[in-house]
Amino acid sequence: MNKVITINLNGNAYQLEEDGFEALRTYLESAARRLEGNPDKAEIIADIEQSIGDKFRAVLGVAKTVVVTKEVEDVIAEMGPVQDASGDDEPAGAGAARGGPQAAAPGAAPGTAKRLYKIREGAMIGGVCTGIAAYFGIDVTIVRIAFAFTGFMWGSGVLLYVLMMIILPRAETSAEKAAAYGAPSTAEEFIKRAREGYYGGMRTFGDKKAYREWKSQFKREMRQHKRDFQREIHQNISQWRQNWRQHWGQHPHAHDSWIAGSFLSLLITIVSLAGLCAILSLILTGSIFSFALPAGMPMWMGIILLFIIFQVIKWPLRAARYSVYYHGGDGPGYWGACHFFTSTLVWLVALMALLVLANHHSVKAHELLEQVRHQTHSAVDSVREWWDRP
Amino acid sequence: MSINEKFTAIRKGLLEFLVLKIVSADKVYVADILGQLSGTEFATQEGTLYPLLSKMRREELVDYEWKESEAGPPRKYYQLTAKGREQLRETSDYWQQISATVKALGKD
Repeated sequence: MNKVITINLNGNAYQLEEDGFEALRTYLESAARRLEGNPDKAEIIADIEQSIGDKFRAVLGVAKTVVVTKEVEDVIAEMGPVQDASGDDEPAGAGAARGGPQAAAPGAAPGTAKRLYKIREGAMIGGVCTGIAAYFGIDVTIVRIAFAFTGFMWGSGVLLYVLMMIILPRAETSAEKAAAYGAPSTAEEFIKRAREGYYGGMRTFGDKKAYREWKSQFKREMRQHKRDFQREIHQNISQWRQNWRQHWGQHPHAHDSWIAGSFLSLLITIVSLAGLCAILSLILTGSIFSFALPAGMPMWMGIILLFIIFQVIKWPLRAARYSVYYHGGDGPGYWGACHFFTSTLVWLVALMALLVLANHHSVKAHELLEQVRHQTHSAVDSVREWWDRP
Repeated sequence: MSINEKFTAIRKGLLEFLVLKIVSADKVYVADILGQLSGTEFATQEGTLYPLLSKMRREELVDYEWKESEAGPPRKYYQLTAKGREQLRETSDYWQQISATVKALGKD
């Protein structure tokens, strides 16, 4: 015995078995998603609904009033996946679609894109590093080391981390977790697959056609995100800039010298490098340039103390440079914010590249990295121990 | 990569040409077009054809009118516009050129 659901397709009522109804709903929803932005979306959907209705009518008769699930699935397979003709990057697969894996699995739309999430499992602070590691499929320790380094370099890794902690959504549901690791899934697909017993949808993932479609959809979504993001940023920046103009208009500064600015930058860089070397030496040899830590102080505390000390040393230098650079004109709004982010990103990328290259091409570097990894792990463990202690 | 896969893009590009040809012969509705294409290399499905027809209508190559059918609700019957006929002529000429070139170059 199966529950029956009555639906309205383009003005005619049809009775469908419940599972068939779900399949049809998934198919129509994925069709609507793919026609997003098409000016004739409503009309195409109406055409498709009518065509489905015609096909249903063909299987119904005086004695048969319900469309069973198998018949719904056959009709959907016959219709084929909806492909937007206006999109150029859309694989039409004309002809090849018939009887292909796509047609055989009704409504098996490739899921939403892989997304960046915070992941609580295995997280140390906010789960940002675990999320990034999952997104790129790399060891979480490497991400942590990179973050720590950028933190020392310009102090902005910390800010980036905090920002990401605020901005990134947390992967709460199983679908979100799957998206964080890159398995394709819409919520419905996910439930359906779990019910059918092949979790994660690896079968579709191996399917090249589905993968291509998934990719083009992902690209489209990303382009949309990018446009939205850029618009927002631009609005914010112009607002910021205006505020600074007003501010500097009221408080003009007389002193200006780019030589002083670059000299200060040089000083800051030197201090940063010294800090980095000190911390590296502490991690690798257990003492800061052969000055041992005070007795009883754990290494992780030494690292944090060093970090704070060097930040304190850099603070007045930074403040001075700030006032030298931004004495007027556009103010730090535009240049400052952009520079801040790009420098952080550039450092992150450069460091990652350097680490990967060194790891691959030099035995010594590989050993060193392994040692750093090991040390970081034990540092993490000692922090955790300290934290767990009542 | 099979021949079939290699020519996916070409078939996709030619589909509009073939639809123009089919619509030029007679007033047709979607099932007619699908029927004529089925069994050929260009067999396709509603999911592809409806968006394509709507795009062609937006570009004013085809137009449709509603007609009562014997059974069921009225259907959309498609026909070519003047612009569509012009496009068909140009595409046909171009296609002739292409096949002539393919024939003329090299040996079989």
